[in-house]
Amino acid sequence: MNIRQALKMAWRSIWGKKGRSVLTMLGIIIGIAAVMTIVSAMNGYTEKTMEQYAAMGSNKLEVYIWNYLYDEDGNSLGKDYFPDLYDYCNSLKELVAGVTPEAYCNATAVYGTKSSANMEWEYDDNGNLLSSRPQLYYGSDQYSACNNLTLAKGRDLTPMDMERYNQVCVLGSEAAKAFFGTADPVGKAMQFNGQNFFVVGVYAPRLTGEAAKNNSMDNIIVLPYTARRVLGGEAPEQFVVKVKNAESLAEAASRIRGFLKGLVNPNAGDTQVYSNDEWQQSMNEQMGMISLVLGGIAAISLLVGGIGIMNIMLVTVTERTREIGIRRAIGAQRSSIITQFLMEAAMLCGIGGIIGIGLGTVGSYVAGRLMFQMTIYPATWITACAFSLSVALGIIFGIYPAVKAANLQPVEALRAE
Amino acid sequence: MAHLVELRDIYKIYGEGLESEVRALDGVSLTIDKGEFVAVVGQSGSGKSTMMNVLGCLDIPTRGDYLLDGTDVRELTDRELSHIRNKQIGFIFQQYNLIQSLTVLENVELPLIYQGINADDRRDLAMEALERVGLAGRVKHRPTEMSGGQQQRVAIARAIATKPPIIMADEPTGALDSRTGREVLEFLQQLNREGSTVILITHDNGIAATARRCVRLADGKMIEDKQQEVDWF
Repeated sequence: MNIRQALKMAWRSIWGKKGRSVLTMLGIIIGIAAVMTIVSAMNGYTEKTMEQYAAMGSNKLEVYIWNYLYDEDGNSLGKDYFPDLYDYCNSLKELVAGVTPEAYCNATAVYGTKSSANMEWEYDDNGNLLSSRPQLYYGSDQYSACNNLTLAKGRDLTPMDMERYNQVCVLGSEAAKAFFGTADPVGKAMQFNGQNFFVVGVYAPRLTGEAAKNNSMDNIIVLPYTARRVLGGEAPEQFVVKVKNAESLAEAASRIRGFLKGLVNPNAGDTQVYSNDEWQQSMNEQMGMISLVLGGIAAISLLVGGIGIMNIMLVTVTERTREIGIRRAIGAQRSSIITQFLMEAAMLCGIGGIIGIGLGTVGSYVAGRLMFQMTIYPATWITACAFSLSVALGIIFGIYPAVKAANLQPVEALRAE
Repeated sequence: MAHLVELRDIYKIYGEGLESEVRALDGVSLTIDKGEFVAVVGQSGSGKSTMMNVLGCLDIPTRGDYLLDGTDVRELTDRELSHIRNKQIGFIFQQYNLIQSLTVLENVELPLIYQGINADDRRDLAMEALERVGLAGRVKHRPTEMSGGQQQRVAIARAIATKPPIIMADEPTGALDSRTGREVLEFLQQLNREGSTVILITHDNGIAATARRCVRLADGKMIEDKQQEVDWF
């Protein structure tokens, strides 16, 4: 008996009992759909996040200087440590490529009739970002170096802008589009909380191709951090140091740690230096962990589904004892009987798997939208694994019933009612 | 030349050594040559069905040698026994034993499938067998849609589709009325005339009388083995 014959027999048997077959498959369908949804949503999220991190650049240290001192009204008495950090980092020329504060500015940006207050996060039906609210950052002249930004037009921020409290800014490519459309923003004055700031430059988009379209990453406006004097905000506590290469990370981190110990009075504040790559790694690990736990729970439902398959196959074997006897009498070998029943279980699970993959694809899309505001479709390898897994389940849980069928004595099987 | 079938002192004992021990076959020796028409006759419980199971390689005797075409079947693997059942023997059962979920044609094709014959040849052979039993026009029907006589003819077609040298019929007329029963017996005679060895198991002396040789069993022992004039009814 060849495989084609076995497949045909299996299909007839499944089709002949449609209702029961569908009920039997339910366990596998649900299990596969759950595993698919979880694994692909997590995988998609991690991949997209990592893509963005890669676009922002790696080899970064995150530096925190927390302030403990507040006045009676709860206002920070934190000192601006950035000039010291800036000078120190720039003295480590062989290790460090740049340093900048990394702080949000909450000012409302206005140009003409356009105001960031009216710009909202919007998506189309497919979950693609249509528009986002521009984000204002306080940075140094090295903000661009730290964040993988390159200049498309005009000039970048300079140390002088900081020293002189210049009211200038540089726009990310999406922010330039949002406020100026196709017009050239360089030299135009925008109002941040009513204060005039001149656009001196525009950065090039960091993402390319499809991903560059409407990306929130480039919907940014960078202004000298000293502008907080007019726009408000506490002394920056978070900084980014970009090092020259991966080998410099550890060395730069330990030098900066040492420098900060001497700089910040332990009674006045605390400091911390993280490697961005470590953070990425730990996030990766965390996501992996969550995937594993959720995937494990889903896998249990698959196991239950598999046991369901085994039960029904055992019932089928009992019901068809006489048929097995007849087949044996007219020349079916044990192996033919095993093949027949294994094929039936594998096909049952395979069909269940395909339906499950369909539902899982929908599921990961919905999960991506609801949980991460992302468009996530299962990767090909996940689909392939899910299908193989379901067929493998059929074979594993089909073995016992199939062997039981094959081991029936022909004489006794023929006698069965 | 070796006999086609040779049973040497065959025992089939269930629960041997127990109080309830049953000797279904109790030291039977028998030879059958190619081309014979043998009726194995006996009352219910005489061991004739066990005899058929042993002869048909469906069951292995507890003791004794069974040589089929010179080969000792006790030494054969399951694979080889399956092969013998498939190629050497055509079974006809009292209850027809057709698979209800398959069509008439598919039932007849089944032994050919296990031979690994390709689809076209299989169809030709199966159709040939169905034509011989006069059912070529009903190949798409299910067994349940047919009368008992027709079902038995399907079973005969299945038995002869592989052109086996031996036909074994276990009470083939038991579930049929006398007219269709006689058609079946005539068909077996016809097969015998064409060279098949036919072994007919029955409890009915009238049916046993249609065979040239009659082997009588009682309590697992052979009590009679005689050549006889065919009493055609």
